[in-house]
Amino acid sequence: MTSIKLNNVSLVYRLFEKLTLSAPGRRRSALGGNISKSGTKQVVQALDDVSFELKAGDRLGLVGPNGAGKTTLLKVLYGIYQPSGGTISIAGKVDALFNISIGFRPEATGRRNIVLRGLISGWTLAEIEEKMEEIIDFSELGDFIDLPFKAYSQGMAARLAFAAATALEPEILLMDEWIGAGDASFQEKAKRRMDELAEKAGIIVLASHDESLIQRVCTKKMTLRAGRVESLT
Amino acid sequence: MIAALNGAFDDISKAVRLHRVWVALAHEDIGDQHRRTTLGPLWMLVNYFAFVGTFVFVFVTKDASDPSYIAYVAIGMLVWFYLTETITMSVSLFQREASFIQGTTLPLFVYVMRLTMQCIIRAGYSLAGCVLILLLAGYGINSNWLLSLLGLLLIVVATPALVTVFAFLGAFFPDSEFIVGNLMRVGMFLTPVFWVYSGQEGVQKYAYHWNPFTYFLEGVREPITAGIFPTHALTVTGYVCLGVWALALLLLGLYRKRIVFLI
Repeated sequence: MTSIKLNNVSLVYRLFEKLTLSAPGRRRSALGGNISKSGTKQVVQALDDVSFELKAGDRLGLVGPNGAGKTTLLKVLYGIYQPSGGTISIAGKVDALFNISIGFRPEATGRRNIVLRGLISGWTLAEIEEKMEEIIDFSELGDFIDLPFKAYSQGMAARLAFAAATALEPEILLMDEWIGAGDASFQEKAKRRMDELAEKAGIIVLASHDESLIQRVCTKKMTLRAGRVESLT
Repeated sequence: MIAALNGAFDDISKAVRLHRVWVALAHEDIGDQHRRTTLGPLWMLVNYFAFVGTFVFVFVTKDASDPSYIAYVAIGMLVWFYLTETITMSVSLFQREASFIQGTTLPLFVYVMRLTMQCIIRAGYSLAGCVLILLLAGYGINSNWLLSLLGLLLIVVATPALVTVFAFLGAFFPDSEFIVGNLMRVGMFLTPVFWVYSGQEGVQKYAYHWNPFTYFLEGVREPITAGIFPTHALTVTGYVCLGVWALALLLLGLYRKRIVFLI
């Protein structure tokens, strides 16, 4: 049974003072967020005491101002960030749509990029082969699929990236903003694909600044502020 | 400590299972670097010939007619190019892979193996050139070549560990990219790549005996140029390999989850 359960999850990064030969005044931290002092060390409290529980069918919208911890929470759920406190229990296959163009290589053909993207996403060669034609059809690239990615117009590149990124069957889908691509007609198609994806996924966690989108897609809304849960409705 | 090592082994085993990812990416990397050139990856072979030729025929003319010196430089350059490229590219590895590290859940060791694979493919071209030079210099293929392969194998085994250690160094100490780059450039002159040590005193003595790279080189070179089993060189290389792997596992176990916050 698909589920997500977070108990008092916190994420505190220590701001590593990178060893550098530059003058102390020119040293800078790599991160933003809530920076505080803990003894002589600088730490970022990115998430603080976050608890919630989702079960199959739940669609959670994450809202809050920039720096509130929305993307950080998504990355904790995806496993990119390891929480420094609390417990996370996730049942189900998690997929994420953060950066749909990740891994695309300008010199490789569209077809080769689909293979690479599939490998990076953990698909087997058989799965890649199975999804290949569907991705090509959806992207409407036709013969362009065997040309280098760098030869594509911005719209074509976006269509391929979108088609490859959304050719998944997640049980839990994490999204940092709703994604769309291409011209008006493709955007309509992309919207339908996203709706289908949302429909199929057992659980969705969507971070967005678009309140109307959250209202349309989500069944629950969590407001984050400074890494803490302000409200959960 | 045990938990750290378990974490490191877990990361490595996941990366090994994803071997198709790093093999494919490494091939793409090599292809991209030469995609629009006429010779393609054969440029790596040309570069190798150019360096060996320069050292053999221009800088050291008095020894140029000596086939054993030609073999000495050819093997020395093969190993040195491999080591210097591996180490200098490792220092900026995690910075180069930042978008993957911050956007996917691929194990960190995938990036280590991607670079290792890349360096091995590149060295394959130099190796072909080296074999050709050895044959032209009159060194027929014999059982000593197998001993040489043992030395090469040890270097290949040490490579992922070297990549890991220098990649962490670069993440924690960004200035090291330039320091290591310069040290490796200087290191070529402090390592018996093209100069022969024959018991001299002074700097050469220390550069020969106290330089770990000497043993990496001699372990591959001695079987062919001197026709002996390089017991001492292989022993030192083996110990260095073990030490670097121990350090790599520790770094991977302790810091692999923190790298995402550093880059």
